[in-house]
Amino acid sequence: MTAVWRRAALLAPSLGWIAAFLVLPLCLMAYVSTLARGPMGGVDWNHHTADAYVQFLFERDLMDRLVVNTDYLRIFGRSFALAGGTTVLTLLIGFPTAIWMAFQPPSRRLLLVFIITVPFWTNILVRNYAWILLLRTGGLIDTLLRASGLSNEPFSILYTPLATGIGLTYSFLPYMVLPIYVSLEKIDRRLVEAAFDLGASRWAAFRRVILPLAMPGVMGGAILVFVPGLGAFISPELLGGAKSMMIGSLIQQQFGQSRNWPFGAALAFVLFALVLLALGAHQLRYRREAR
Amino acid sequence: MNDAVPAIEGRDLVREFAGGVRALDGVSLSIRPNEFFTLLGPSGCGKTTLLRAIAGLEVPDSGSISLYGQPLDGLPPWKRPVNTVFQSYAIFPHLTVAQNVAFGLEMQRRPRAEIAARVAEMLALVKLEGLDGRKSSQLSGGQQQRVALARALATSPRVLLLDEPLSALDLKLRTEMQLELKRLQARVGITFIFVTHDQHEALTMSDRIAVMNAGQIQQIGTPDEIYDRPASRFVADFIGATNLLEATGTGEGAYRLADGSQIAAQGPAGSVWLAIRPERLRIAPEGSLHGVVEHAVYEGTDTIYHVVVSETVRLRVRAPNSDGASARFATGAAVGVVIPADAVRVLQS
Repeated sequence: MTAVWRRAALLAPSLGWIAAFLVLPLCLMAYVSTLARGPMGGVDWNHHTADAYVQFLFERDLMDRLVVNTDYLRIFGRSFALAGGTTVLTLLIGFPTAIWMAFQPPSRRLLLVFIITVPFWTNILVRNYAWILLLRTGGLIDTLLRASGLSNEPFSILYTPLATGIGLTYSFLPYMVLPIYVSLEKIDRRLVEAAFDLGASRWAAFRRVILPLAMPGVMGGAILVFVPGLGAFISPELLGGAKSMMIGSLIQQQFGQSRNWPFGAALAFVLFALVLLALGAHQLRYRREAR
Repeated sequence: MNDAVPAIEGRDLVREFAGGVRALDGVSLSIRPNEFFTLLGPSGCGKTTLLRAIAGLEVPDSGSISLYGQPLDGLPPWKRPVNTVFQSYAIFPHLTVAQNVAFGLEMQRRPRAEIAARVAEMLALVKLEGLDGRKSSQLSGGQQQRVALARALATSPRVLLLDEPLSALDLKLRTEMQLELKRLQARVGITFIFVTHDQHEALTMSDRIAVMNAGQIQQIGTPDEIYDRPASRFVADFIGATNLLEATGTGEGAYRLADGSQIAAQGPAGSVWLAIRPERLRIAPEGSLHGVVEHAVYEGTDTIYHVVVSETVRLRVRAPNSDGASARFATGAAVGVVIPADAVRVLQS
């Protein structure tokens, strides 16, 4: 009995925290998403409706009929594409980095992990502003390209999805590198030697031994980049401009300028459900493979 | 196969690690085809480095290694027809037993059907039938050991390298695996190079043994040569229990010990070490040396007597108990120690 109590006592702070600041607000948000919009913004607490969810897929035309509206779906699609692209890009850049780090002498590895975390010292807003200076017409990259004679056209990718992708990749890269590095560092070097010994070339040893053993890290990194990338707000807002809006900005708009709390809450919930579905599918596949 | 061509020949191998430690300090050796050859020595003597140099996992600073006359120098490990059973077994944790055994065959791009047949054959050879689908985490130490063996033998290497494969097993399992390894070697008929720090293991399993110390080979010989005719003080001391006595040759077939007493033996004059195995000595009322039994350790088949001859000369005598309890001597008894002349091995210091 004391063991049960002790466990309860030890878990109580974190469970309490999660309940008060995650579960409760989520419930509140779910409730708000089922309410009607208040006449002066906010919500009408006495009036339930599914309007917010209907609005996601349909709009009312002049005759007050429901017509399919793909605007919001497109924003969701773009967000998934950008988050997915960011995940792939961070993986392509992050994996070789992590491999190189893991094969450094142990004393240097700590320093490298430390260096990877250096960007966190500067505010993410400031770092994304810096990308504006680099990417804009007349910015550093534009100036260099023209000065070197490589291009005569004004270089302009600021306020495009590409700029958002660059900003996201830059912001999320450490979240990909660190988990992969951790899983690579744990790999017993003798397994690689055993592979060599059994006739595996460097490439074969990488593909057949290192890569499969690093998969938990790759999966962890992918989740850490993809999920927050979906809801990213700062990079798309600063670098993407209005034409490449992502979910994060859309939700922010509903709670801000549009004063449509139920719709904002509904959008957040649709996103939440999609992420849960994706993670669940991944879990299922992963567990089947692990068996 | 030509018996005149050694399976493995190493010449003047040197490997110096950062910090100036010479793991290999001019090692030359020649290992015969189908031999069970053991590299024996204390930890840090360079035996594992030598094994890794043969496997290609370690590159010697100088010297060369050839396999059946073909130089291996410069070949990466994946191009050498030798396989290793690692000390930690190094079973791939993400693969099943069958996939582990198939690994080397897949690297050689053998046809699927052939791989499946070979894996089944190997698992039968090491008596692991029915465990094909297990992962290494579901195997005992002894089973992992067998997987490592099957995996290394699957591609029919010319030489099998074994890096202290039994050190992680408990005593009973180890004795079992010693016999098993000998049986396996007879079955597959290839050269085994076996690294161990366990002299008992080396003596019981090997055709020949190379005793190593501080990066150098001290002696190469059959187990009885190594045991009965150690070439150096190190070998005499490292293999089995030995009485090591500092002595000076009188030049007349006798040696004077530190306390002035004399032992008859043939050998060079000057300052030497005398190595005498405890089981070659005999306790009797009269002997060439006399002393007092300090203590007697009963070991079942034998009794070990610690005899104090003088302050500087102490002897251990192993006496079989087959004579019965009556022949035993008690602590404090004054006894003689009989030293047959051919029991004394004279080693230059």
